[in-house]
Amino acid sequence: MRGIIQTTLKSGSAVILVLLVLVGIVFVRNFASVDNAAVIVRQSAIPAIAVLGMTMVLMTGGIDLSLGFVVGLASTATGFMAKVWGLPVDLTVAATVLIGALVGLVNGVIIQYMKVPSFITTLGTGYILYGISQLVSAGNVITRLPPSLLAVGRTDLLGLPTSVYIALGIVALGWFLIHRSVFGRALSAFGFNSRAAFLSGLPTARVNVLTYVLCSSLAALAGLLLTIRVNAAQPNMGGGVFTFEIITAAIVGGTSLFGGVGSVIGSLFGVLIIKVIENCINLMNISYHLYLAVQGGIILTVIVMDKIRSRAA
Amino acid sequence: MGQRVGRILFSLLGVATLAAAGLLVPHFLTIGNLLNVVRQSSIIGIGAVGMTMVIVILGIDLSITGLIALCPMVSGLLMLQGVPIVISIVAGIIAGIGMGLFNGLMVAKLDVPPFITTLVVGQVSQGLALIMNNGRSIGGFPAAYVHIGNGSFLGIPVSDLLLLVMMGIGMFITQFTPTGNRIYALGGNETVVRQEGINVDGLKLFVYAFSGFCASIAGILLSAQLDTVHPIQGDPYLLDTIAACVIGGVSLAGGEGRVAMAVVGALIIGSVRNVLDLLGVHPFFQNVLVGAIIILVVFGSGLSRYRRTAPV
Repeated sequence: MRGIIQTTLKSGSAVILVLLVLVGIVFVRNFASVDNAAVIVRQSAIPAIAVLGMTMVLMTGGIDLSLGFVVGLASTATGFMAKVWGLPVDLTVAATVLIGALVGLVNGVIIQYMKVPSFITTLGTGYILYGISQLVSAGNVITRLPPSLLAVGRTDLLGLPTSVYIALGIVALGWFLIHRSVFGRALSAFGFNSRAAFLSGLPTARVNVLTYVLCSSLAALAGLLLTIRVNAAQPNMGGGVFTFEIITAAIVGGTSLFGGVGSVIGSLFGVLIIKVIENCINLMNISYHLYLAVQGGIILTVIVMDKIRSRAA
Repeated sequence: MGQRVGRILFSLLGVATLAAAGLLVPHFLTIGNLLNVVRQSSIIGIGAVGMTMVIVILGIDLSITGLIALCPMVSGLLMLQGVPIVISIVAGIIAGIGMGLFNGLMVAKLDVPPFITTLVVGQVSQGLALIMNNGRSIGGFPAAYVHIGNGSFLGIPVSDLLLLVMMGIGMFITQFTPTGNRIYALGGNETVVRQEGINVDGLKLFVYAFSGFCASIAGILLSAQLDTVHPIQGDPYLLDTIAACVIGGVSLAGGEGRVAMAVVGALIIGSVRNVLDLLGVHPFFQNVLVGAIIILVVFGSGLSRYRRTAPV
């Protein structure tokens, strides 16, 4: 536990979050209210699920540029299964996550066994998935989804929708998986030095493939919940912008760019940081387009600060 | 020797593609359509000139998506303010080189992995392009500017000539200057090059700046062809540019690959897209196909060398 707290503090994400919230309270009107805090929590829930997978992938030293397009595919698939085919809710949820797992399996196998670099593989599969979702949906948006499906993520519990609790549960599981399980250890070892891990007898191939499977499954679940939240299934959901948001959150949360180091709590702070910024930009009525550039600015600052600190140390 | 055989086989493959296309599609092998294919491929080709050098030094430049939008946005907005065309274009090019230099700085001085740096710089550029005109497109440029994209010189489209010039510059740098030798050496073995006392950081800065320069030219040419700048117009070109390089035999394992071959790769991608267009294949299906091609080609080529360095 102490190690994790130290990692989080060292990454500075907690400090950045506190500073941002203070700036928000002082300078942004309507920021400091219980309702607005609930908005931020609601908006952070779904990215918090997706960021777990990206954290693991970055820990292996790879990257998943297809993540946002898995979200779009999952959204399209959810809409089709729930509305057009009229499948029951449990089946829809299971099938959507399974589709994600399949995509991840394809990514993982290409990267691990065909030795294609992760950024090329996932760039390629991203385009493929986007094409497939567009072709399947024929560009249509499916709205007014069945209430039974909407209930999965929208049921109110103590003032927050169920999607927030689902996210909390998954983050807890993710924390256990990354920081307390054999798989997490193997993941770290693989990210630090894959050859050494392999020579020590770790099943590196399985770990690497499983990481991409988990990442895409979580992305599919995020896509499902996002579809429920906006009550519309469409292929344009997610996309490159979402992928970038998730990568930013993971890196701002202290995930090393060189593999091996990652923190679930840090990544969670990362998500909260970008969502607080988005919230402030919305409240101040500034152009939403600023958000993209600001995110980029933050990620660059964090990288540079991290480098300077490691040089000084 | 093996490389030369590979290049001959590759050229034959290109010719076979063209012949097959000619048989399949009636209008493909007309001079008008072929010049059109080259014109359409010119954006990808110019991008591929810079991308080749980046991949040769074991990098990647994902920022061209953003730069293809940002640079012409800078030029376009200046032009619409009444700034002379040449100065506007130079300003766009400077924006591209500046962003490229930034990529290089992050990679060379801070050792940040290229795919992260260039992804971020690309998103920032994209964001800036969106902010500059609040997410709207601009258009209605001076006739002389539009002429760059749509006019002809001595019967050859200016776009095609521009592609040739950029290819020439790229070939000259990589094949006939000491810098070129060092670029290939750097891709082969960085440690040795460093020990030789060569300025590795400077070399990386130059390569990324040059890629930014190529992206700015590609973006400006695209906006001149369309007489429009759309803030997300760079989106379709990233995958095609990387595909052009890997089809042209530029190895992701670094140290190998020729600028001219990458341009031929761009022409192949352009032809494939043109044929699919003429056959009435949906653009989204084309993306599925190009995505699959790029993965398969990387798998099939340059594989043996990457295998040795790839994580186990």
